[in-house]
Amino acid sequence: MATVARTFPRSTPRPRLRIRGRTIALHAFLIVVALAVAYPFYFMVTSSFKDLLEATKNPPDVFPAQLHPENYIEAWNRAPWGRYFVNTIFVSIAVTIGELVTASLAGYAFARMRFPAKSVLFIVFLATLMVPSEATIIPNYVLMSPSRNGCLGLPCLGWFDTYQVQIVPFIATAFSIFLMRQFFLSIPSELSDAARMDGAGHLRFLWSVALPLSVPALITAGLVTFLGSWNAFLWPLIVTTKPDFRPVQVGLSAFRQEAGSSYHLLMAASTFVIAPIVLLFLVAQRYLVQGIARTGIRG
Amino acid sequence: MRLTAAIVTTLMLVTAACSTAAPAPQQSTEADISLSGPVSLTLWHALSGPQQVALDAMVKKFNDTNGKGITVTALNQGNYTQLYQKTLGAIQAGALPDLAHAYESFVADYMKADVVVDLGPYKDSAKNGLTKQSQDDIYKGYYDTNTFPQYGNKLLSWPFTKSLAVMYVNDDILKEIGKPTPKTWDEFEATAAAVVKKDASGKVIRNGFALNTDASYFNAQVYSRGGSLMAADNKTVAWNGKEGLAVLQMYDRGIKGGWAYSPAGFDYQNDMAAGKLAFFLSSTSTVPFMKDLADKTPNFHWSIANLPQSDPTKAKTVQFGANVAVFKSTPEKQLASWLFIKWFTETDQSAQFASTSYYMPVRASAADSQVLKDYWAKVPQGKQGFDLIKVSSPEPNVRGQQDIRDVILNAITSVATGKATPDAAIKTAGDKSNQILASAQ
Amino acid sequence: MGAEVIPARVKIGQRRRFPLEAMQAYLFVLPAVVIIGIFKVFPAIAAFYMSLFKWDVIQGAFRGFGNYTDWLYDNSLRSPDFWRSLSTTFTYVILTVPLEIAFSLVIAYLLFQKIRGRGIYRTAYYLPYVTSFVAAAVVFNWLFHPQYGLVNALLGVVGIGPQRWLDEPSGFFQIVASAFGIALPEWAAGPSMALVVVSIVTVWHYLGYQVVIFLAGLSNISNEYYEAARLDGASERQIFTKITLPLLSPTTFFVFTIATIGALRSFDTVFILTGGGPLDTTRTVTLLIFKTALQQAQFGLGAALAFILTLIILLFTLVQFRVLGRRVYYG
Repeated sequence: MATVARTFPRSTPRPRLRIRGRTIALHAFLIVVALAVAYPFYFMVTSSFKDLLEATKNPPDVFPAQLHPENYIEAWNRAPWGRYFVNTIFVSIAVTIGELVTASLAGYAFARMRFPAKSVLFIVFLATLMVPSEATIIPNYVLMSPSRNGCLGLPCLGWFDTYQVQIVPFIATAFSIFLMRQFFLSIPSELSDAARMDGAGHLRFLWSVALPLSVPALITAGLVTFLGSWNAFLWPLIVTTKPDFRPVQVGLSAFRQEAGSSYHLLMAASTFVIAPIVLLFLVAQRYLVQGIARTGIRG
Repeated sequence: MRLTAAIVTTLMLVTAACSTAAPAPQQSTEADISLSGPVSLTLWHALSGPQQVALDAMVKKFNDTNGKGITVTALNQGNYTQLYQKTLGAIQAGALPDLAHAYESFVADYMKADVVVDLGPYKDSAKNGLTKQSQDDIYKGYYDTNTFPQYGNKLLSWPFTKSLAVMYVNDDILKEIGKPTPKTWDEFEATAAAVVKKDASGKVIRNGFALNTDASYFNAQVYSRGGSLMAADNKTVAWNGKEGLAVLQMYDRGIKGGWAYSPAGFDYQNDMAAGKLAFFLSSTSTVPFMKDLADKTPNFHWSIANLPQSDPTKAKTVQFGANVAVFKSTPEKQLASWLFIKWFTETDQSAQFASTSYYMPVRASAADSQVLKDYWAKVPQGKQGFDLIKVSSPEPNVRGQQDIRDVILNAITSVATGKATPDAAIKTAGDKSNQILASAQ
Repeated sequence: MGAEVIPARVKIGQRRRFPLEAMQAYLFVLPAVVIIGIFKVFPAIAAFYMSLFKWDVIQGAFRGFGNYTDWLYDNSLRSPDFWRSLSTTFTYVILTVPLEIAFSLVIAYLLFQKIRGRGIYRTAYYLPYVTSFVAAAVVFNWLFHPQYGLVNALLGVVGIGPQRWLDEPSGFFQIVASAFGIALPEWAAGPSMALVVVSIVTVWHYLGYQVVIFLAGLSNISNEYYEAARLDGASERQIFTKITLPLLSPTTFFVFTIATIGALRSFDTVFILTGGGPLDTTRTVTLLIFKTALQQAQFGLGAALAFILTLIILLFTLVQFRVLGRRVYYG
């Protein structure tokens, strides 16, 4: 794991394939696999522009005979998508910011400060990664339910159908703390010495030296968190019921029931649900790829 | 003759008096109090789309006109499963709404925590209840399904959004092959087989029957073949006899004979509208979806009819759909909740809600209402469904029924996919269901 | 941990500064402690507490480990469901993990060569991973649609009849064998066709992710090894088997471990594609937990099952580390 945790140098010279024929075969193989992997996306987008009759044609046309962009309008109007998107964007951004703050602070403390019970706390944090969410989903669910008698000895939070129910439990994860700690550990101690000579405290050093140096790590952790939050499904499904608070993934799942066999509309809805995160990924691809290589998070 | 009649009447009156007077003196029950001031109520439900709009309009009318200061707030809680999950959470926390939309199996679960109000005293209350005539206007099946044998035969919920299992028919196909809507299962099989059309390659392009794996339609067929679903003591199932076997055998013949298929999702609706399917079984609440498709499809004619029967003179089908339960709170809130559901199911309101929500009216007298007549003029299938209420019976409401539904679904799937013979499937399913019933006691 | 970062000479002033620094450190970790404590640690303890009671809608009698033994052997309605779902879960692991590793290793190795368009390929392979499973399921449900699906249309071209795919409970081997007119007995039927399709979709979804990890592992292998091998006249194949594979083994082991844990814990994939059907042939342990707790309101039994699964994952991880971890070559 230690090997993986290192970043891969982009400039490493690679073994070169010598024979031209093999290069062609290589490309052929990669293209075939890439087509197989990417075909569902092509299929989704083209189907979203067909009418129902053409969309259910078997075998399907490669390209719609006539473009029906109005499918998007119809699909959009059949569910409160605007609301769903606002909810998802708000929740994802809030979770991302919250997690970056908690992870930076705690990661810094674990990396560069001394305090009693540090190792114990760190081990407890890492242990939470081992317990599957299925084990805790029931008590968490009860904890969120409306309060009158108290929940399992604690006051119930009564957070069903709110934003905080989708945000607060996720603004600190052992993983991000671990990631940030690794980064802060790699900052040369000369820098902190110099800062201390200048009379800068930990908070000042964190803010003006450590964080600016860790921008790649912050972007990485932020993107991974954002992706996880954007695609969250089971938890918001259980704890929200009003469209006012539901995220797009739950909305899409509900739309699948409601649209029934209107496949062309389903494809249009799937396309606009996926589009923002795909665009974000294309823009920020480099950081995300580095981030995965560094942390090995599987969403 | 007259004397006998007189004796019988007297006896009936005496028994009736005994049975109602026996439990408690009427004036002391909570059902007979009056409201002392304004009351606000919360109703959790699972209606969405046009049906939610219909409910909200009714609720608004009640709030504006009840004159007793009762204000109801209706809140959608997602689909039925999510509504159930949220209500369970609310039980843990002791934060229940005043009323909740619920299937019988939900109510049976909620009663484990003893949180549901017995509506019997409210219904019979001299002051706040319904007259005998008014009570009899509501279909008997609706009382049966809301009366729970495992909880002392208490009336724990009230009919709310009811519908029926019916057969949808593609009239154009029947006209083309010159056959009437089948009345018996034998006629049905012959007609469904005659519908089948294949293309040059032998691929079926028009099919007879889309078989439904949902337990309710299996149950409806058991009724239609003269069977019953539960033994009289409610301790074992009764559908695992020859009638249930006959249902699975017909599915088996249909799949093997190439005149039936098992559709994915709601495909059967598209298939029928596209002229590719003659029959499917579904709920009367599918009417708006089919109407929507028919409006978009030129020259497509459809109707609904009762399921084919073994004995058409004793026709039967299943009635289902959710009810509304009142949760224990304060006497005043409970009474206000009752007053709301009582108002909701009066003739005018019942007719109004049926015409806007596509659910079945709760009362027979709703048929005389002009609102409903106007609606039926536009959607004749609504009337075709309504006429079947009187031959419909509810499904069992015992504890464990929800798991038994899964067992039935698996039995049908195993036959439809050729994984089991009808005999083996019905036997396995019956045994498993009886085991579930035994453990749920 | 991390103490070595602080230079020795600071220690002179340590005794005076220590309480202040500790106070400050606690403030730094406080938000994380509160959140993780309330939403991770406390619920885990509470779940264990619930698992010791009959909790049928409401809290009932104390049962000790009764809920656990119900699942393992004691209850004729529960324990068959548990063992069946456990076998489904392990089948799912066997169907997905080796395929994911084989495919991603090969692709990563090819992509690591100096070829044009690496970025484009990588993007294409990586797209599924950023796609939400809900949206992916919509597309795959339809590609594998029994009537309108493209997959059946393609099979039709080569003369294979339409399949029911996600609706097909029959064993995969059984179906393949019957195409050649061989009837297989039930014990040799293999995983249901539905589970096979779910596995294919899973591999599709995680492929790009594994590729990226392998790429990182490959780039950590020093180029000197390759150059030395070439000087000795080693062939490409020899270089791959004698240098790349052994040096990549820590990465492979890591991918293997996280892919296995991920598959043992997976819920969304199966839940959205099949909901556990047909005939419960895709009902994994996590789906059984969901059904027991949130559809049957048996919270105690559900929590107990969740802890059984936790234990299985823990054991599995430990065994993996002991047995396979030793064979990993750390250069």
